[in-house]
Amino acid sequence: MLKDLALIFISAVLTNNFVLTYFLGICPFLGVSGQMESAWGMGTAVTFVMTLSSAICWVFYHFILVKFNIIFLEYVVFILVIASLVQIVEMFIRKFSPPLYEMLGIYLPLITTNCAILGMALFMVTKKYGFIESVVFGFSAGLGFSLVLIIMAGIREELKYADVPKNFQGAGITLITAGILALIFMGFSGITS
Amino acid sequence: MDNILISILSLTAMGICFGAILAVLDKKLKVESNPLVEEVEKLLPGINCGACGYPGCRKFAEEAVKNKSLGKGCIPGGKETNDKIARLLGISASSANAKKAVIFCSGTNNAKKISSKYRGIISCAAVNLANAGPDCKYGCIGLGDCVKVCPAQAISIENGLCVIDPKKCIGCGLCVKACPRNIIHMVDPGNKDFIVKVACSNPGPMQEVKKVCSAGCIGCGLCTKIIPDSPFYMEKKLAAADNSKITSKKQIQPAIDKCPAKVIKIIDV
Repeated sequence: MLKDLALIFISAVLTNNFVLTYFLGICPFLGVSGQMESAWGMGTAVTFVMTLSSAICWVFYHFILVKFNIIFLEYVVFILVIASLVQIVEMFIRKFSPPLYEMLGIYLPLITTNCAILGMALFMVTKKYGFIESVVFGFSAGLGFSLVLIIMAGIREELKYADVPKNFQGAGITLITAGILALIFMGFSGITS
Repeated sequence: MDNILISILSLTAMGICFGAILAVLDKKLKVESNPLVEEVEKLLPGINCGACGYPGCRKFAEEAVKNKSLGKGCIPGGKETNDKIARLLGISASSANAKKAVIFCSGTNNAKKISSKYRGIISCAAVNLANAGPDCKYGCIGLGDCVKVCPAQAISIENGLCVIDPKKCIGCGLCVKACPRNIIHMVDPGNKDFIVKVACSNPGPMQEVKKVCSAGCIGCGLCTKIIPDSPFYMEKKLAAADNSKITSKKQIQPAIDKCPAKVIKIIDV
């Protein structure tokens, strides 16, 4: 059991990283990785929401969708669940923990329709995970996303001082960096089967 | 058929449930935002310049209401805005916004000695980095970095020296930051309608000042002695005026007349 969980963890963080292997959540990956501080904020928010929504989506999937035999509605239901969940979480945080709310800032509402989170919910179903496995999967997927985001932010902060050829400046060098990062993460494949 | 019915029903039910939960929580978890904050925000210019030290007008309004103090005050809003906000909050307005930028240098092209020749970017900051410009390292370079940042067009360069029009100055302090020689300072005129300045920043002794500029303060200290209870004081070999101690132009007239370098100046604000 513990071994399985460890495998899920490593596979979601490194080998099957959401951003660099599945190419999910590319928009925030490129949009928010300009500064270390915002990368931390976004990473925290995504990890938080992914962990929560994996738990809730699992419950909804197994106790409503499977029970009434309407699995084909999973896309719609998951989006509904995730969006409402994020809204509720945002309200709770704003009420009970203003510092956390300030830290997460605008990133929390931004991720309501993040494809990485929907992707996580769908993977969780196709891989037939149990409840605990799902939660671990959600958490580690979020961690993997944060890891890549922070690595990227670190590189891009340094890149500001690099002498980039004019043709590659801006989006060009960012995409090239992302590509090289993805190649590096390819090296992890083979750790887990 | 059953499938369609079930999916419609279950989705509707879920939608209504989530909607209801959100509606209820929205009411229950409502964060009380102070109506005062809204009112203060309406009075502010809303340009989010950040000169008050907060990230934006909204934050300034929140902090002003919370701390019952205007802090540095709204600088572009001017005295009028600050007075209105202060009245709304029932506190006295700070005088911070009445400060004016004052240049502490008299080095016009006729007065200052420039022995080096500079060829390069036309900017005071660059000249300062290159250690070029006037021989006096406390002298106005005169390329107008301050002119460029001034949002009120209150600064001009006349004969190689920065001139600030106190009537136009809104007290934002941007020129203070822009000046690489740090010879522009914010001065509070207090209750009077003029500012007295010793228009030099060179703290060196007479020989050194005379070598580089004919208009600098030579540090004789006459102004500190000639008036009883003088508002002037010495910082190393540089005289300075304490504007809070000055009451009338008459009081300091003898110092202006007797100053050998003619470096004490009155600015009407």
